Amino acid sequence: MNHVLHSPRNPSRSGALRRAALWTCASGALLAACKGDSKPAGTPPTPARTPAPPISALEVRAVSGDLSKPDPEAPYWAEVPAGQVALTAQAMVTPRSAKTMTEAIEVAAAHDGKYIAFRLSWPDRDKSEAGRLGQYSDAAAIQFAVKDVATTPVMMGAPDQPVHIFHWRAQYQRDAEQGKPTMAQLYPHMSIDMYPMEFKEAKGGTPEQQEQFSPGRAEGNPQSYEKTGVDEIIAEGISTSAVQAGHSGAAKGTWKDGWWTLVITRPLAVEGGSVLKAGAETGVAFAVWQGGEEEVGSRKSIMMSWLPTKVL
Amino acid sequence: MPKVSNWQIGRDCEYPYDGHRPARQWSIIFDLNKCIACQTCTLACKTTWTSGKGQEYMFWNNVETKPWGGYPLAWDLRILEQLGRQDWGANGEYLGKTLVEAAPENERVLHYAPVDEDWMYPNIGEDDCGGGTVDGGMHQASLPHDQWFFYLPRTCAHCTYPACLAACPRKAIYKREEDGIVLIDQSRCKGYGECVRACPYKKSMYNPHTRTSEKCIGCYPAVEQGIQPQCVVNCIGKIRVMGFINPPAKARADNPIDYLVHEKGLALPYYPQLGLEPNIYYIPPIHADRDYLRQMFGPRVEDAIEAYRKLPEDPRASGLLCLIGSTDRIMHRFDVKKGMAYGYDEAGAEIVRVPVTEDVIVRAPFDAKLGASRHNTP
Repeated sequence: MNHVLHSPRNPSRSGALRRAALWTCASGALLAACKGDSKPAGTPPTPARTPAPPISALEVRAVSGDLSKPDPEAPYWAEVPAGQVALTAQAMVTPRSAKTMTEAIEVAAAHDGKYIAFRLSWPDRDKSEAGRLGQYSDAAAIQFAVKDVATTPVMMGAPDQPVHIFHWRAQYQRDAEQGKPTMAQLYPHMSIDMYPMEFKEAKGGTPEQQEQFSPGRAEGNPQSYEKTGVDEIIAEGISTSAVQAGHSGAAKGTWKDGWWTLVITRPLAVEGGSVLKAGAETGVAFAVWQGGEEEVGSRKSIMMSWLPTKVL
Repeated sequence: MPKVSNWQIGRDCEYPYDGHRPARQWSIIFDLNKCIACQTCTLACKTTWTSGKGQEYMFWNNVETKPWGGYPLAWDLRILEQLGRQDWGANGEYLGKTLVEAAPENERVLHYAPVDEDWMYPNIGEDDCGGGTVDGGMHQASLPHDQWFFYLPRTCAHCTYPACLAACPRKAIYKREEDGIVLIDQSRCKGYGECVRACPYKKSMYNPHTRTSEKCIGCYPAVEQGIQPQCVVNCIGKIRVMGFINPPAKARADNPIDYLVHEKGLALPYYPQLGLEPNIYYIPPIHADRDYLRQMFGPRVEDAIEAYRKLPEDPRASGLLCLIGSTDRIMHRFDVKKGMAYGYDEAGAEIVRVPVTEDVIVRAPFDAKLGASRHNTP
């Protein structure tokens, strides 16, 4: 079946040069100058990286290895070429970032016949895991169309044209690795006399009763529970995203020297979600949030169109 | 962007959604001349709603000392200074911009984002006349300006045009048709904090334990049963009353809220120039600085103070103020006749009656029947 893909942004020479220039700027020692002057004195400059070439389509090669486990350092990534895709600040709806915080993202993808893994890299000078008031987490997401990618709007889908999203947050990964932080961990010097039904040895309540004092948990909001690292979301338009029960995907991100490297892996076929097949063309889209720049929700850098993707 | 009608600023103003008034609108009136900042309202709310994890710092109801106090820190100064000039025309029309009208193009409302530290001093500035230790004297004696202050109790204003609701990109905030109470859907909120940034009164608060934002719920479970909120019924000073307010064109003179706000002009919204049509109203403190009060309550503050000073000549208004704090139930109607004030519920049944002027009883210092002197001291 031949999907008619939305044509990607025309990779005109001037556009490619502009993006390459931005990329060099973002990846080199000019980082501080590009992003403002709030970089603390004494922070070592971000090491220069050779930027990946801009791409207008993504090829997902077959590799040998177990791709069910996300591994940014796995040897098979050496066999897969990385390409660079431009992002811009989400501009469809307010509130939105006043400027693009993540200009581009490096992408590589591979599959093992059962699982498909995406490795994403982008510059972010601060590692942000959120937790306390007014703090936001670094995050990234990959989006797939549930039905025909040619007719599914890239901005969160539309009614009856759902999108299937894997949303990773550094905060969620911290949950998975260290457990959801307690209030005492978030605020070590906090003083509290007692919580309802949890007074020292006289607890006096079941966990269910205690949860009545935590409204989000009492309502069963997935946001209020310990995360596994990556949320799986179905959306049918802006402001409709809904976290799905069960987890087919997994993610692992590492932050080093001002860069995040993140692998999100998922089964090729997800029942009730998107289905990818070897030999078939589809599309993916990416989004990045810089928590240190107070990006969250609709304040994010995104792709303006689907990236044509072929699973080889 | 749609225009909505905002009677508090005497003109239409911009709002991201079409204007719609609920069937009824929850409202509280506070008499600031009577508040003593005992914080009983604060504790009544705290123990009822925010004793859980992640709510340690939350005060859906707080009482702060003006002009120096504020929770979170300087919330009012920080939004007012961004908004620029806030002039009023002679006819009561607001000439400046509202928060929605002043929003940068990438935002829905003009706002500021409080940080962690801003929430750490709920009592800052409270009774701030002391000079440290007792023998240090009072530093108010050295202040270079007139000395005045008043206490400002605050809850969510359940605005007609809420900034929190406007700013939520998930549409997880809604305003109830039956009573106008504004709620954050705890099953849909993802804790983006947009409502925390957007609410100028800073009455949306992020819960780091549930990772959702929470706010005053207007004690809707009580309101649904015809009972006033916890902060109201626990007020020992009897300074506040909860009821339902109508817009001016539909005001009913026998509705306690309509009477004090529309009929008498005694109670005013605070910071109406922000353009949200907040539904908590204040009888302004008559001894505080007039410029400050005009900034906070708008141009009708002089009239409100004038009306307050004339209260002793007005048995109907005096009677209503006596009803305030005399019943836990929501008064939909009131009447004053023959020296008695009456409150009625929605069905028209009497729920409370009080004398407008209480009898003065003088007791002799010696109780002959008991053969005992009446002393205050043992």
